[in-house]
Amino acid sequence: MAIELHPLEQFTIEPLIPIHIGRLDLTYTNSALMMTIAAVLITALTVLATRRAALVPGRWQSIAEMSYEFVADMIDTNIGQGGRQFFPFIFTLFMFILFANLLGMIPFSFTFTSHIIVTFALAALVFILVTAIGIARHGFHFLSLFVPHGVPKVLLLLLVPIELLSYFIRPFTLSIRLFANMLAGHTMLAIFGGFAASVGFFAFFPTAIDVLLVGLEVLVAVLQAYVFAILTCLYLNEAIHLH
Amino acid sequence: MSEGGPLDPLARLGERIDKARAERVRRQPAAVNDRSALQQGLGLGFRIGIELVVAVGLATGLGWAIDHWLGTRPWGMIVLFFLGVAAGMLNVYRAVARISTPAGYRRPGEDGVGTRGAKDAWDDDEN
Repeated sequence: MAIELHPLEQFTIEPLIPIHIGRLDLTYTNSALMMTIAAVLITALTVLATRRAALVPGRWQSIAEMSYEFVADMIDTNIGQGGRQFFPFIFTLFMFILFANLLGMIPFSFTFTSHIIVTFALAALVFILVTAIGIARHGFHFLSLFVPHGVPKVLLLLLVPIELLSYFIRPFTLSIRLFANMLAGHTMLAIFGGFAASVGFFAFFPTAIDVLLVGLEVLVAVLQAYVFAILTCLYLNEAIHLH
Repeated sequence: MSEGGPLDPLARLGERIDKARAERVRRQPAAVNDRSALQQGLGLGFRIGIELVVAVGLATGLGWAIDHWLGTRPWGMIVLFFLGVAAGMLNVYRAVARISTPAGYRRPGEDGVGTRGAKDAWDDDEN
């Protein structure tokens, strides 16, 4: 593969297997390929690592157990009662984003979380699920989420729109945060890589910065998956327990 | 792993693990606390930075769109800009209020959320 000199070239979607059903374009792209790889790896990790489960876990079993306990802890501290039933959803979400971000750190791979449509689909899924659960659990009472209590009636005219806005903005903040962080980080890496390729003798400096940035990017990759999962927990908590 | 083995070695192993864990926490309590605080702080920092920007940007865009449809220029954009600022600040406030003491909102520790009880219930469920 040629060295990409344009910093945004790494985000190009390339069709691999064209699939057209009727008017639907379901072409299998490099983005979909990475999603498949992520899903396969997660399944492999959780299934294979625990297939021969030992009392004293080996390396792979340890990884699987640690990720399980990490998410379980997150749910316990953020949702508490009644949060356990959402474990599969949040675990899947967390692992999928984590693997997406980390797989993206491998040179010449593709980071599908750097595409807003992917992160927005995930965030919209969370948003719809949270709203549906809130309405299913509390019915009409769910709307009390938008009415802060102990407030004079006149102020409600102002506060209810603010609350509504802050609620409906969630899928956007959730998706833009993940997408912007991944996009910015990978673009920055590519820009410094481009510097290194173009300055010849002084290439040491941008390369050194790139090495540091890779470390930062790994941190961001893990942290963004964590933030996405923990916000899902917080939103679910609000829908389940209502303020 | 299954029910076949005697419970005694299991219990002894559990005891040993608990002891080792307690020992480790006792030996370096500050480091453990620091790491979790750092993790939380970083997570929060990454969260709230974008919260305000997106709220203002999105609300203003929405106001512009409403103006475009209804021909109320410039009022929709102005009103929604301020609403967006308020909503963004509210979100940031709520995110931050979870660690410091909030005025008017429940802390995560209350109402069974984030208490030891929930954790224990989970562990019990597993066995």
